[in-house]
Amino acid sequence: MTAVADSEPSYTEAPAPPLSRMLLVILALTGIFIAAYLTLHRFGFIGTLQCSLVGGCETVQSSAYAFFPPRTMVPWGMSVALIGLIGYVVLFAIGLLGLQPRFVGSRAVAVTLISLSGVALAFSLWLTYVEAAVLHAWCQWCVVSAILIGIIFLLSIPGVRASR
Amino acid sequence: MARKPVKKRQTMTPFYATLAAVGVIGVVWVAWQMFSGPRGNPATQAVEVAIDPAELSRVQGISVGRDDAPVVIYEFADYTCPHCGDFATFVEPLIRERLVDTGMARFVFYDFPLPQFPNSFLAARAARCAREEGKFWEYHDILFGRQPTWSSMPDPADFFVELAGDVALDERTFESCLRSDRFQDEVSRNMQLGQMLGVASTPSLFVNMKRLPNVPQFSELEQMVREEAGGAPAADSTPGAAQADSAVPATAAPTP
Repeated sequence: MTAVADSEPSYTEAPAPPLSRMLLVILALTGIFIAAYLTLHRFGFIGTLQCSLVGGCETVQSSAYAFFPPRTMVPWGMSVALIGLIGYVVLFAIGLLGLQPRFVGSRAVAVTLISLSGVALAFSLWLTYVEAAVLHAWCQWCVVSAILIGIIFLLSIPGVRASR
Repeated sequence: MARKPVKKRQTMTPFYATLAAVGVIGVVWVAWQMFSGPRGNPATQAVEVAIDPAELSRVQGISVGRDDAPVVIYEFADYTCPHCGDFATFVEPLIRERLVDTGMARFVFYDFPLPQFPNSFLAARAARCAREEGKFWEYHDILFGRQPTWSSMPDPADFFVELAGDVALDERTFESCLRSDRFQDEVSRNMQLGQMLGVASTPSLFVNMKRLPNVPQFSELEQMVREEAGGAPAADSTPGAAQADSAVPATAAPTP
């Protein structure tokens, strides 16, 4: 028994995955479903968005800013909901990878997570500004997503500190 | 020593259990939204929209022409109304050719689907779906051109998709837009703007800030535009002028 244990030192000695990263992964999975919901609506698989809290989802989702780059600039912009879905899937996958014993202390994983979530946060803040200042309409799912990505960014900070 | 790996797995169990629970809830929720919602039932009715008078200038009309044109012609129209069809067929092309293309005027189209025509609201949304692909005016023209064919159909959605193909729109993209609630608020806002401006019938026209009492012939409209462009005195006695002064949008949507 002792011999077996001694042959797996890296497993037993790997640092425990931080709670912050576990929460990050759970929130990224939540974000996947919200982004999937908006993406399915964009592509016609869901007819009407549930929008009982603020009532501006359809205005936001119908606007030129539902695409990036916005349709006011170019006609070929990609659906923002789809961009969000891809982003959350990538964050979820890297976060999950970062929970594996081999990658718990990986600086590369920590830096990738904070970089991606930082870019996503900046993008979400810009979209929130557009809702407030340009469209004067709020989409509750977009607001929830912006809050999620803000929390994910904060949760990615401890991983960078721990990997120094 | 040998128990440590077991302990580690136990530590992660609550996390994976939570992750699985979130995953199951998420999948069920998305599936519920897909299969219980009104998928395939396009929005065909206006909705109540709260609109502050200060926000009127942001109601989205569809504009064509130079932003700095000296005269702006606003039209509130219904795709099912025969008079709108006549105006779109015989007058609008002349407006675009002789007034808009020459830089004398900008033309802004607003939806005003009349409740007595059950297909009007869907048609208005369809045209805005076409606008998403940059072909509003092409679709607007074909909708009016084929008005007798679809206006009395019980459900014209499939026909609208056919028309989308006729103007070289991506039919799948168009249909996904049409069979949703997209632009329901925007068209509803257009209607509310018209109501606030006193529009009661279609087509209703405004030249700069003045509401026209009747639907003009092109020659009459051209004369009005030339007078406006030349700085002729405004016809203060024109019915509706006072309402229009305060509420006609100063800025409209850019040319699609």
